[in-house]
Amino acid sequence: MTAAQVVFYGACLVMLGSALYVVLGRNLVHCAFALVATLVGVAAFYVFLGADFLAGAQVLIYVGGILTLLLFGVMLTNRIYDLKISTGAVQVFPGAVAAGLVFAVLVWIIRSVDWNAMDTGAPGPTSEPLGKLLIGDYLLPFEIASVLLLIALMGAAMLVRRRTRP
Amino acid sequence: MSDALASLGRFLPELLLMGALAVVIVADLATQAWSLARSRNLLVGLTLAGLGAAFVASLGEPGGGSLFASMIADDGLLGVLRPLFALTAIFTLLFSLRAKELDGARMGEMVALLLTVTAALMWMAGSVNLVMIYLSLETVSVASYIMVGYRSSDRLSNEASLKYILFGAVSTGVMLFGLSLLYGLTGTLDLYGVRAALAAEDAGPALILVLLLVAGGIGFKIAAVPFHFWCPDVYTGASTPVTAFLSVGPKAAGFAVLIRFFYSGIAQPGADGTFAAVGGVDWQGLIIVLAVVTMTLGNVAALLQTNMKRLLAYSSIAHAGTILIGAAALSSEGIGAIVTYLVIYLFMNLGAFLVVILVHRVTGTFELEGYAGFWKRSPLLTVAMGIFLFSLMGIPPFAGFFAKLYVFAAAVEAELGWLAVVGVLNSAVAAFYYIKVLRIMAVDPGDGELPALRFSRLDGALLLALVTPNVVGILFGGALEQISEIAQRLLDLA
Repeated sequence: MTAAQVVFYGACLVMLGSALYVVLGRNLVHCAFALVATLVGVAAFYVFLGADFLAGAQVLIYVGGILTLLLFGVMLTNRIYDLKISTGAVQVFPGAVAAGLVFAVLVWIIRSVDWNAMDTGAPGPTSEPLGKLLIGDYLLPFEIASVLLLIALMGAAMLVRRRTRP
Repeated sequence: MSDALASLGRFLPELLLMGALAVVIVADLATQAWSLARSRNLLVGLTLAGLGAAFVASLGEPGGGSLFASMIADDGLLGVLRPLFALTAIFTLLFSLRAKELDGARMGEMVALLLTVTAALMWMAGSVNLVMIYLSLETVSVASYIMVGYRSSDRLSNEASLKYILFGAVSTGVMLFGLSLLYGLTGTLDLYGVRAALAAEDAGPALILVLLLVAGGIGFKIAAVPFHFWCPDVYTGASTPVTAFLSVGPKAAGFAVLIRFFYSGIAQPGADGTFAAVGGVDWQGLIIVLAVVTMTLGNVAALLQTNMKRLLAYSSIAHAGTILIGAAALSSEGIGAIVTYLVIYLFMNLGAFLVVILVHRVTGTFELEGYAGFWKRSPLLTVAMGIFLFSLMGIPPFAGFFAKLYVFAAAVEAELGWLAVVGVLNSAVAAFYYIKVLRIMAVDPGDGELPALRFSRLDGALLLALVTPNVVGILFGGALEQISEIAQRLLDLA
């Protein structure tokens, strides 16, 4: 086993283990911290795929931004430690069977298909071509993403606002 | 870059809507100190102007070709659906002025959401790129979640919004997974590239998985069984104008995505207006199963409802099933029939919801027993409801009859006569619950002597605007033919 493989499977283990904890854990704060490990594992995956920009964005946005907010939310919520969340207790058996079936089908499909994989040689920096695509061919999706963010922001502000106006 | 600039001119309706969005956001902030009624009037006026301008700009012949480096197809399908979305939004806005649930509500966010979702529906209907399909669908979904939860002090509304978000997030996630598999199979995000790649080489079982996953995402949007669970609760919890909007706008856009994905992405047009599946998977069976299950379950469940909004929710599920028959036909006539149905459906379904809103204004209830004795209180409203319901039933000479006729004709043409028969049988079942509503309104005695109803001028105008197309549909067979003919002109980048 090469060093790269060791790191790869290590990242897989961290990701799967922490993801399992997120789903099965009973303590909301611990779950949120476990989610940090999962998302860092995903970033490691991107590194392995040669997607440097995506890996950086994953760490900055998900780990640095969204999860920090999530943790703030969890910690600022009153009496969060006493909260019993009901996960894993209902329909364990049907759930496990369904998940196992989906897993089996996916593995079968992934192994049976001749994927349209591109061999791009040694990975180089991706930020420049990405930037060119975003203001070139993918200009419209890029702009629409900003509309989506704007409306999500407005909606979030609206839903949590106190009714003050007469 | 030059392509983007050249595309802007043919992107006018969407640009107008985005301009109006910017204006209403600023206007809402600038008029914080005004009284509620005054700022409401201003915002609704501005929004109406924006929607009206977009409606006018979207009329006329589509330009053909694609916009923004093959992101949007500026073809007949988009050409017909753009004005339909603008019109739906205009009706929704006017409804919201008359809905009791929104009395005294702030309108700033509502009009901003309405403008955004209308533009996003247009993007959705035009998308010919997997990224665009996902992104526009997500924009529609996020805006819809917020619109459903608009009455944030109302528990039902909150619950509906939460259910909608949970179902929506799962469905779009599932769809996105399917799209990513499709990208892995074909190596392109462009729908026409997907078609070319699949035509060159069969994809095998992986494509079946892709189709199932994508059908989940689209099925959620059009509320097809078994992806419909959100529908009755969301329709009940949302304020009625929003319900009316959801039952027409996103459903139509969902069907547009379905046509684009299945007909442009994984089928090849033949010589005589028929389509043949590519990639080695015959997906016609999938659509047929969805159609039959959706129609039947929607109609049977609607029979049991005692709440008007739930009844209309199941009725809209059943209609989605009927429209799916057109999608199973695998022909240009099928596409034309779907779009014609969607256009007529706008008038009949929005009409029924308008009556629900007006009845709720005076009775304060959505339960069916609240409709008892309406014949004595307002014969006019009862007759209008009769017309909408007969149209929804598909009884001639009302417009709904032609909607169903085209769909069934497309099915027969495609040698799916038995499917058309299933559709007719379902229409017969549907007649039971529509007539039940009418019987309650016209025959059942109400509680004692109730005062006669008074309409505002706006109510009268809205009723007239919605009743007329349903009644005179028969006179405009030519216009319907033309709509169908334009919609069949799908962009075809071989």
